[in-house]
Amino acid sequence: MHTRFKLIFIALAVIAAGTVTAQSNDPAQDKEELQMMALEALMASPSERALPALVKLLDGNGSDELKESALFVLGQIDHPDASARLLAYAYDSSGEMQLEAIRMIGMNGDEAALAGLPDLYTTGNENVREAVLEAYLISGNTEGVFNIAMNATDEDDYEDAVEILGAMDAHEELSRLREEKGISDALITALIISNNDVELRKLAMDSSDIELQAEAIEALGIVGGPDTDAALADIYTNSDNEDIKEAALTGLLIGDYDETMLGLYRSSSSIDEKKDILEMLVIMDSELAMEVIDAALAGDQ
Amino acid sequence: MKDDELREFDGLDLDKEIAAPSHMKQRWHDSIDLAAQREHTEQRRPAKPFNVMSFFWGAAVTAALAVGIGIGVILSGGPAAIESNDYVVRDASAGNSDGSGAFARVFQAHLRDTQEDIASMPISTAEDRTTLVLKIVQQNRIFEQAAEHNDADNLARVLRAFEPILLQLAASDIAPEDADALREQLAFELKIMLTKLERNASKNTQST
Repeated sequence: MHTRFKLIFIALAVIAAGTVTAQSNDPAQDKEELQMMALEALMASPSERALPALVKLLDGNGSDELKESALFVLGQIDHPDASARLLAYAYDSSGEMQLEAIRMIGMNGDEAALAGLPDLYTTGNENVREAVLEAYLISGNTEGVFNIAMNATDEDDYEDAVEILGAMDAHEELSRLREEKGISDALITALIISNNDVELRKLAMDSSDIELQAEAIEALGIVGGPDTDAALADIYTNSDNEDIKEAALTGLLIGDYDETMLGLYRSSSSIDEKKDILEMLVIMDSELAMEVIDAALAGDQ
Repeated sequence: MKDDELREFDGLDLDKEIAAPSHMKQRWHDSIDLAAQREHTEQRRPAKPFNVMSFFWGAAVTAALAVGIGIGVILSGGPAAIESNDYVVRDASAGNSDGSGAFARVFQAHLRDTQEDIASMPISTAEDRTTLVLKIVQQNRIFEQAAEHNDADNLARVLRAFEPILLQLAASDIAPEDADALREQLAFELKIMLTKLERNASKNTQST
């Protein structure tokens, strides 16, 4: 009985929402408020009852705000038809409605609806492509983002996808991307975002592209991790390339590894190197810099 | 490096007495703010509802905020970081993600707290609003990790879906009317989610 009364109330509210006229100074606002109330009430009703009412509202002449709210409720309905409807709205609508439908597909997590996103990505504009990536992020679907990155023909699209993989901590997919597509700025950024010091260390040792290697070394300083300071010191000591040495020092500076920096200062026999390292220690505002300065003033190496 | 990229650092409270060599500055900027450069690229594009990279920046900002508010949970860590979290329910049978179970009840309490925070949110002062919203984002991330640990992927998705809206609301340059609209949207979505969870819990109680 209780459920029946509730359903009658919902039905009346939806009907009233469509016909209400002058209840206050702003009839349009009254109508909208009543419709929102009806939407909230729909959530408490059985899926098979809520679905037709939502579809009617979405296909009607309501405001975009109301329809976006209706899409949210539709996304919470546990019914296969609800997911199918969401996908249909994602394909057939435009603007904010379309973007909201895509967001709801991600939130709903229905596999069948998620399977429709790749085509949407391929045919959609920039906003749609971004919304699809966001939906994958919300749903936790790393494979979907990986496939977008793998198939990307545009550099910006590739970067966006790779960085989303970083935000998703998709270590395995990022590693696969490095194997398939090679090292790139975007990949290094994603590794920073995902705090992946293990993968960055591999890149920091890869001398196939000095510029990217230097970026990876500095990124290692940002991410940190166990024994990162020792790894950076090794890179500095064992490299003959000025850019790589400078990147290693920068990595130590970013990571605030002043003691390791001091160790390098003391072990170096090059005046130029000592000068560079001292400059870094001063920039770091390290107290150890004073030790070095005192020693230098005293004539000690 | 372009001037507009260098201007990224103008707002930072850097010690101006320390003069780093210009070439070195340039390298730092290149390396430390790779992602910020992406932000610039994004800004050149036409108006978009949400920049996905703000997830990353949100993470960075909220991680910093976490230190300030003493949350004490390392977000970027793996499972070990969440190990001591009170929200992780070890008993799998207690972790039904459909609205019943211990974790779902804690999750509902979190949504209710968020609902109250959103309702009492100061809209006029951007700074207070930003602080509060980032605190909510921070807490959401803790619950998101907890949800994943409790095999409640659907609840984790809910929290991830709220984040773009929260991060838009946290923006300091948002117009008051836009902030109000976002707050209303969040209030509505939270209400719907709570209704759904309560309905599911009620269904399960009746069926047992």
